[in-house]
Amino acid sequence: MAGALVSLAAAIALLAAQVHHPPLSGWAGFLYVDTLSGFFLLTVAGVTTLAAAGSVGYLSAEEDSGRFTAFQVRLYFSFFGLFASLMLASLETGNLGLLFVLVEASTLASAALVGLEGKARSLEAAWKYVIISSLGVTIALAGTLFLFYAGSALHLTSDQRLTWPYLFAHAASLAPQPLRLAFLLAVVGYGTKVGLAPMHTWLPDAHAEAPSPASAMLSAALLNTGMYAIIRFLAITQARLGTTFPHVMLLTFGFASVLIGVLFMVRRGNFKRLFAYSSVEHMGIIAVALGFGGVLGLYGALLHTLNHAIAKAVLFLGSGDVSQRYRTREAAGVSGLLTAVPVAGGALLLGSLAVLGSPPFGLFLSELTIVRAGFAQVSPALPLVLLGLLAVAFVAFARTTLGMVTGAGPAPPDPYQGRAAHWGRVVPLAVGLVALLALGLWIPAGLNTAIMHSLAAIR
Amino acid sequence: MEKLAATSAAGVLLDLSGVLILLLAFACLGSKLFNRYVAYYGAQSVVLSFAAGVAAWTFHSVELWILAALTFAIKGIGIPLATRRLLLRRLALARDTAISTGLSTSLIAGGALTAFAYLVTRPQLLPHGVVAAAVVPLSTAVILLGALAMVVRRHTVAQLIGWLIVENGVFLGAITLVATFPFIVEAGIFLDIAAGVLIMLVFVSGITRELAEASAAELRGLRG
Repeated sequence: MAGALVSLAAAIALLAAQVHHPPLSGWAGFLYVDTLSGFFLLTVAGVTTLAAAGSVGYLSAEEDSGRFTAFQVRLYFSFFGLFASLMLASLETGNLGLLFVLVEASTLASAALVGLEGKARSLEAAWKYVIISSLGVTIALAGTLFLFYAGSALHLTSDQRLTWPYLFAHAASLAPQPLRLAFLLAVVGYGTKVGLAPMHTWLPDAHAEAPSPASAMLSAALLNTGMYAIIRFLAITQARLGTTFPHVMLLTFGFASVLIGVLFMVRRGNFKRLFAYSSVEHMGIIAVALGFGGVLGLYGALLHTLNHAIAKAVLFLGSGDVSQRYRTREAAGVSGLLTAVPVAGGALLLGSLAVLGSPPFGLFLSELTIVRAGFAQVSPALPLVLLGLLAVAFVAFARTTLGMVTGAGPAPPDPYQGRAAHWGRVVPLAVGLVALLALGLWIPAGLNTAIMHSLAAIR
Repeated sequence: MEKLAATSAAGVLLDLSGVLILLLAFACLGSKLFNRYVAYYGAQSVVLSFAAGVAAWTFHSVELWILAALTFAIKGIGIPLATRRLLLRRLALARDTAISTGLSTSLIAGGALTAFAYLVTRPQLLPHGVVAAAVVPLSTAVILLGALAMVVRRHTVAQLIGWLIVENGVFLGAITLVATFPFIVEAGIFLDIAAGVLIMLVFVSGITRELAEASAAELRGLRG
């Protein structure tokens, strides 16, 4: 918890420092932080802080109710810390090979969190997660290899030929065919981690079966780390091959993800799976935004990443509260939350509205930016299709969550002994919602400059 | 940039190891016994360490010698031994009954994938003269064959072996195609694989404890 706060403070300081300074780099490019990494670091560190705060209450309640042993709780916090630090480290390296190593290591650490409950269902989810993601990331490694090969004509040392800023600076003299293959493999490989359809199949299982704060980490931090890797590859590919090929690929995967996410959200059932499919949808939206391109599209993609991360963290933390009280993850088993458990109910209601892109919240602004980018950059048909899918998503998602928060239901027993744990649950939800609201009404000047600087670094 | 012509003795040896690795991947695809999967994987890793040794000898690289030794010790001996001891013997696994297609069908599909690998990585599409050019399509084919093994096999142990074959394919590319791949990255990849196998062994034993049959075909609880 303290570690998370320190890392958040460090990330904010780093981002603030990065805005006006050249990229920080050391150890032959193995350490490299520019504004783009700074922006993603801020997102991941923020989510980690919220999830770490939520973990304290969640885990103490699980331990009190005897569902977790003391050993499992210790395991949870060890792997949680490992997972968070590996993700932060993967954002801080400029070496694409090391990026693979750290992303794969974070997969393993988070798989341990998914399988922590040790029951058949969670082990099944963890197995599916670790085998699909490992295969995916290995494909990304093959892509990295082809990128390395594409640069074999450059006069750089072998370390530099894998280091992002050097590759980006020399992008014009990369060999085009291996680069094309490299981008394809990287999008498929890291896209598996991002949860782009059709490589998303591990995602709903892992999100549904992990302890809720860990689900928040998966959805709001891990997926973004994968997206960060794709953006790095995108920048190099755009510089050499032009925008058509990468944009068509990202639009294809993006629209497939939005479609799959929306279709599965129509089904009413496990509410954590609902949130997970919503993550698939939102990652699709970010990919579409990258595919629209231009300043607006990239700006929207980054802003949406931040907004979605906060909203999803709030939703999963709130859902952890609900599933602990009602001992079910089925939406049909929960009703009348707003009267029975006002805090969780309110968070779930506001979080749902936020994640669906309702006006006062940040996601409205970022989705609007993305749609505007679509109208400006490509034909009007694509953004219209996107809007249509978002409307379906709104109805499907709200139908389930409104059913949970309204109506009259029996008040469940309070699983928290003592006020401290209770406050540990309320504070992260409140902080997340306030941040979302603030981002919807006003984008801080510092954040605006940071995003604009990140765009300059990749265009 | 150091060059390795396909006609030199080292180039021929590398090509030969690449072909052997591909053949062993096919052998694994055409087998039905868990024991064989592990044996073929072990043999493939030994050939891989030999290839790494050849590359190390050609480039006079200490780091590649270390990698060759690590490959031999961990992939050639360690992982097969651990899989045999901890999974096959303890869970009394013998015949793999959870294969979704017939063996001949998967072999034909494997042949098609190999042809495809040659199609997309034709030597003339790649920058010239870096390494023995035959290795690129070979390692791509091994990657595809490993992925195919993961798709047609439903048993968790078989999927684990399939992933390891994919990894070997990538490594073949990394060692020979780009002999100068940074050492720290290769070492990190090694660490990942070792940790990955360890955690997968835990999951497989856990799944077997919870379900009578550790076949991914039985993993039907989570859908939709």
